Amino acid sequence: MSDAPPDGALTRMARWAATVGRIPRLVFGSLLVAAIFGAVINLTMPGSRASTVVGIFDTSFVESTLRIAVPIVFAGLGGIFAEKSGVINIGLEGLLIISAFTAVAVTHLLGGDAQSTVWIGLFAGVLASTLLALVFAVLVIEFKADQIIAGLAVWLVGLGLAPFLSIVIWGNVNSASIATLNTVTVPGLAEIPVVGPILFDASPIVILMLVTILVSWFVLNRTSFGRWIEASGENPSSLDTAGIDVHRVRYIGVVLSGVLSGLGGAGLVVGRTGRFIGGGQTMINGDGFIAITTYLFGNYNPIGTAAAGILFAGLEALQIRLQQIPFIPAPTELIRLVPYVAVIIVLAFVGYTRIPSEVGEHYESGEE
Amino acid sequence: MENITKRFPGVVANDQVSLEVERGSVHTLLGENGAGKSTLMNVLYGLYQQEGGTVYLNGEEMSFQTPQDAIDAGIGMIHQHFMLVDTMTVAENVTLGNEPRKWNGLAYDAKRAREAVRELSETYNFDLDPTDRIEDISVGEKQRVEILKTLYRGADVLIFDEPTAVLTPQEVDDLFRIVDELTEQGKTLIFITHKLGEAMEISDDITVLRDGENVGTADPETATRESLAELMVGREVMLDVEKTDRVPGDPVLSVDDLIVENDDGVRQVDDVDLTVHEGEILGIAGVDGNGQSQLVDSVVGLEVPDEGTVELYGEDVTDVSRREHIKRGMSFVPEDRQARGLVMDFDLVENALLGNQYDPSFTNGPRVNWGTTREHAVDIIDEYDVRTPNAATSSESLSGGNQQKFIVGREILRDSDVLVASHPTRGVDVGSIEFIHDQLLELRDEGKGVLLVSSKLDEVQQLSDRIAVIYEGEIMDVVDPDGVTDRDIGLLMAGEMPETYGGDAE
Amino acid sequence: MSESQYPDPIRRFLRLFVGNSVVERILISVAALVTAVVVSSLIVLVAGYLSGEAYNPLEIFAVLVNGAFGSPFDLDSARLITEGWSPINFSMGTTLKETTLLIFAGLAVAVAFRGDLFNIGVQGQLVLGGLAAALALVWVAPFVPSGLVGTVLLIPFGLFVGAVVGGLYGAIPGALKAYADANEVITTIMLNTIATGSAFFLVSAYFADPTLQSVKTRPIPDFARLNGIVFPQGGQFSLVALALALLATVGIYYLLRYTSFGYDLRVSGKQAKAALYGGANAERMVVSTMTLSGALGGIAGAMWSMMVIGAWRQGVPSIGFDGITVSVLAGNNPIGVIPASLLFGVLKGGSNAINFQLGVPPELVAVLRGMIILFIAMPEAFRMLGNRLGVKPDPAATAGGGSDE
Repeated sequence: MSDAPPDGALTRMARWAATVGRIPRLVFGSLLVAAIFGAVINLTMPGSRASTVVGIFDTSFVESTLRIAVPIVFAGLGGIFAEKSGVINIGLEGLLIISAFTAVAVTHLLGGDAQSTVWIGLFAGVLASTLLALVFAVLVIEFKADQIIAGLAVWLVGLGLAPFLSIVIWGNVNSASIATLNTVTVPGLAEIPVVGPILFDASPIVILMLVTILVSWFVLNRTSFGRWIEASGENPSSLDTAGIDVHRVRYIGVVLSGVLSGLGGAGLVVGRTGRFIGGGQTMINGDGFIAITTYLFGNYNPIGTAAAGILFAGLEALQIRLQQIPFIPAPTELIRLVPYVAVIIVLAFVGYTRIPSEVGEHYESGEE
Repeated sequence: MENITKRFPGVVANDQVSLEVERGSVHTLLGENGAGKSTLMNVLYGLYQQEGGTVYLNGEEMSFQTPQDAIDAGIGMIHQHFMLVDTMTVAENVTLGNEPRKWNGLAYDAKRAREAVRELSETYNFDLDPTDRIEDISVGEKQRVEILKTLYRGADVLIFDEPTAVLTPQEVDDLFRIVDELTEQGKTLIFITHKLGEAMEISDDITVLRDGENVGTADPETATRESLAELMVGREVMLDVEKTDRVPGDPVLSVDDLIVENDDGVRQVDDVDLTVHEGEILGIAGVDGNGQSQLVDSVVGLEVPDEGTVELYGEDVTDVSRREHIKRGMSFVPEDRQARGLVMDFDLVENALLGNQYDPSFTNGPRVNWGTTREHAVDIIDEYDVRTPNAATSSESLSGGNQQKFIVGREILRDSDVLVASHPTRGVDVGSIEFIHDQLLELRDEGKGVLLVSSKLDEVQQLSDRIAVIYEGEIMDVVDPDGVTDRDIGLLMAGEMPETYGGDAE
Repeated sequence: MSESQYPDPIRRFLRLFVGNSVVERILISVAALVTAVVVSSLIVLVAGYLSGEAYNPLEIFAVLVNGAFGSPFDLDSARLITEGWSPINFSMGTTLKETTLLIFAGLAVAVAFRGDLFNIGVQGQLVLGGLAAALALVWVAPFVPSGLVGTVLLIPFGLFVGAVVGGLYGAIPGALKAYADANEVITTIMLNTIATGSAFFLVSAYFADPTLQSVKTRPIPDFARLNGIVFPQGGQFSLVALALALLATVGIYYLLRYTSFGYDLRVSGKQAKAALYGGANAERMVVSTMTLSGALGGIAGAMWSMMVIGAWRQGVPSIGFDGITVSVLAGNNPIGVIPASLLFGVLKGGSNAINFQLGVPPELVAVLRGMIILFIAMPEAFRMLGNRLGVKPDPAATAGGGSDE
C-alpha cells in the first residue's frame, strides 16, 4: 500500500512479493520444500510407507483442497471487507449456513436437474446471506448493537433456522440431493501436467474463488474505495471530514461480506456436496470461524488470507485421506480434530495482529 | 457570523454570538474550556446547525448542512485531534475523498496524488514527503498534513482548533511562520485557543467568548494578559500562585537508571534519574509523548521497566505489583480519568473503592464493606468540593472538573506520603484547576512528596520546586523554576541545552 | 411528536423504557422476547405454507406453554383446567430439569460476560465436565457405602469433579487470551468441537459400557445420582438439583457484588485500564474468570450426567448455546438468570408437546434462540423507538456538566 516510485522490473517484482505478505511466502516456500522432499522420497523409496503418505498429495488432493477451501476463503475475503471498515462480523458462520441451505432448498423446490436451476439456487443462496448480512449491518450501524453479540445472533439464527426449515421441507435435518454444477473444461489447456487439471478442468466455483481473490486484492489496494475502507476502520472521522459517508462505506463492507459468504456457502453445496447436512454444527462445521482466523493470520491481505484458508482446507483434506491409510497409528476421531487444533495454535501465535484501530466502535458524525 | 445561537440538551453553547473576520487576517477566538469556541466553529464548518442566526461568507448568506458544503465554499478546519489514518501515506491522507483516478475512474492514481501533494507542499514551504507514512512522521509534520488537506480542497478560510496543544515551543515557531506564509498568500485564518500568550503574539484581532457569549473583542497590541484573562474568566484572576519556601527533606521516591523500551526496542525512557523529597513538588515538563507516560507507569507499578530501579521510601519496588504499590503508600492521579481513574458506569460509592478493594479498612476478609465505602465516598465529596447531588450518582454525569476532584480526593485520602499526578488539570475548568493546585501545594506543605507531570508549562512552573525537562525519554536537566526563562525551558523541551540559564527574557 | 400529547400515566409508563436501567433492561428483554416470538411465528407460517402444512402460530405457542407445565389448561374441550392436573407431573419435571441445567449454563456465560469475556465454549466445558463426573463416580462408587451416606458423599464429589474439569477446560482459552491475546470467541468454539470429538473417542475407545452398542459409559450407581424426589421417577429431575442451582445463583450474585474479587472482575469487564490502575492483575483476572465460568459449565454437565442420563453418552444437547441466550436475556445479571432460565426451560419443555401434538419440529426452539439474541442485541432500537414516540429520558438521570471542549 505504499506509493513507492517506480523502478526496474525485478525490483518491482520483489516489492510486490513483499506486499503480498509473509504468509503466502511461508506457504509457497514450504510447499516448494515439501514438493521437493516428496519427489525425492518417491524416487528413492517407491512402494514404501513413506511414499504412500507422499502419494496422498496428488492432483486430486489439490482439487479436493480447493473445493473444501471455497467456504473458508470466500468467507475470509468477505470478513476482510467488513472488519477492515470497522465492523467485526463474527456471524460469518451463520451466513454460510443460510446460503448453503437456501441454495439447496430453492434448487430442490424448483425441481429438475437443469444446470440453470442450480445457478438460480446459487443466486438465491447468495441473496439469502446478503439479506441476513444487511440485517446485521442495520443492527450494528444504525442501532449501535454490540458487534460481537449481533454476530453471535446471526450465527445462532442460521444455526437454528436451517435445520428447522430443513425438517419442515424434507422431514430431516439433512436435505435431499440436488444436482451440482458441472466442471468447466478448457480443452488443450487442461492437458498441462499438474496445473492443467486443477485450473482448467475445475468447478466454476473454484475458478470464481480464484478470481475473487485477485479482484479483492485490487479493490482493497488499488482503488479509492479500498482506501475509504481502510480509513473507515482506522480513523472514521478522517473520512467523515473528507465528505465521505462512513456509514455507507461500512454498510457496503458488511454487505460484501454477506455476498462473498453467500458464494462460499452456496458454492459449497452446488459445487461439491449437492446436499445440505444440518446435523450437529451443520456441514459448515466452523468454517466461518476458521475464516476469521485466516484473515487475522493473513493480516487483512486477501492473498495472505486466501493462502491461510487453503492451508486449513489442505489440513482438512489431509485428515480425510489419512483416515484411509491403515497404518496411521492415530484414531480417526482424533485425526478429524487436527484442523481445529491448528486454528487454535495459529491464533495463539498470531494474536499480535494489528487490528484496525476503530473495530467494534460505533461511529457517529459530529462526535468529536 | 451574526447572532449565532446553538443549543444542546441542557446547555446553551452559543448565545447570540456575533463574529466578524477580515479577509487575510488572523483572528483568534479566545476562551476557557467549555466557552463555546469549538461549537461556534463547528457551526461555521457545517458540523452543527444553529438554532438561530446567520453565517455570511464574503457578504453572501450561507447555509452549511454538512462539512462538505463548508468545504465546497472554501472553509477548512484543522482539528485538535488529528484526523489522519496512521497506516496510510501523506499523499493518501491528503487526497482522501478526492482521489485522482485513472482507468476511467476504476483505480486510484497514486502517482498523480503524489505529484499534487508535492507541488502543494513546495508552494507553501511545508517540507513534506508525500510517501511518508503518517505513523512515522512528527507531530508538527502531522499538523502540516492536516493543513495541506484543507489547501488541497481549496480552502481560503482555515480554522485551527487548539493548534499548539501538542507542539514544542520550537514547533510553535514553525507553525507561526507557516501562518505568515498562508496570510501572505491571501488566506484567512481563525485560531481557537485558550492560551493568552500565543493569542497575543499571532493575532490581528481577538474575540473572547465566555459561557457561550461574546464578551468582547480586544486588540492584541494594547491588551494585557491580565485584561484578557479577566475577560475570559469574568473576574480578577490571580495568574500567579503563592508559594511558601520550604526546605525539602529526605527522599521518598527515587528512580535510578530507568530504561523502558517499547516493542520495537526503542527506548521510551532513556536512563532517567530522579528523586522526589519530602515536602517538595518535582515537576516534569515536556511535550506530551516524550516518555512521560512510560515513566509514570513504571513509577506507579503499572509497568515493569526494562532496566533500572524505582525506590519508594527507600525500598526497591521496581518489580512489585501495582496492588503492592498502592498498599505501600503511593497515590496516583492518572492522566485519563475516564479510562483509568474512574469506572464511568459506576456510581461514586463504587468508584471510591477503586484501589481500596483489598484494603483491610474496607473489607472483612474477602468481603467488601459497602457501608464504610459509602462513608468514604461522602467524605471525598464533602472535603474535595465535588459538585454532585449525592454519592449515588453515576460518575458519568459529573463534569470533568468534578470527576478530577473526586479522583484527587480519593488519592489524597489514601494518606500516603507520595503522590504522583499526571496531567491533573487536563480538560478541567478554571475553578477546579485552582482547587487542585491548592491541594497539591497543601500536600507539599504537609511534608509529602509530589511528582507532577504536565504539558502545561505554566502549571509546572508555578507549582514545582524543581523542574525536570524530559525530551525523547531523557531528562535534559533539572532546573530551578525561578532561575530560568521560558526560552530556556523551551529549548530543553526541544532537546537543546541552552548555553546559560536566565538569558534575555522573551 | 412531543411528549405532552400523551396522558400522564402513559407518559410515566413509557418513560420507564428510557433512563431507569434495571427496569429498562427488563422491558427490553421482554420486548425482544415478544418480537422474537412474533418473527418466529411469521417464519413458521411461511415455512408451513411452503411445505404444504398449515401451521397456526398461536396454536403452537399455546400448546408449547401449556405443554411445558403438563397441560394445566385444557385446550380441546370447554373446561378450563384439565381434569386431574397437578403441578407435579412429568412435563413440569422436564421443564424444571431444563431450567436447572440452564441456570448453571446461564451463570457460566453471565460470569464471563461481566468480565467482558465471551465464553462460547460452555458446551465443550459441560461435555468434558459431565464425562469426568460420570467416570469419577463409576470409579469411586464401589468404595463408598451405599445408601444415604453414600449419596451425601458422592453427589458433591461428582459435581466437584465436573467443576474442576470444566474449570480447567475453561482456563485454556483464558490463558490463551491472557498471554497470547488469542480471540476467545474463536478458541472456545474450536474447543467445543475438540471436546466433543475427544470425549467421543475416549468413551468409545476406553470407557464404553461393554453391554451396550452405543457410545456410552457404564451407568452411575443409583445412590450416586440425583434422583427424582417429589417429581416422578424417570422424569429426570431432582428438586435437590434445582435447589443447588438457586443456591449457586445467590452465591454468584454475592461474589460479584460483595467480594473484592467480584469487584475486580466487574471493573475488568467495564474498563480494563481502570482495573489495572486499581491494582488488578489483568492476566490472572482473565484466567480466573474463564476458569470460574468453565467450572459452572462443568457443573451443568455433571448434573446432566448424574440427573438426566445416569451416565455419559454421546450427543449432549446444546445446553451450552442455550446458556448464551439465557444470559443475554437476563442482562448478564445472575439474579436475572433465574427467570430467563425458567422462560427458556418452558420453551424447551414445551417443545416435546408441540412435536407430539402438532408435528412441529422441536428445532423451533433453536430458531427462537437465535431470534431472541438478535433482538436483544439492539437495545438502542427500542430506545430510539421510545424517543421517536416522544418520550425523553428523565433530565436528572442524564444531567451532565457541559461538555469539555
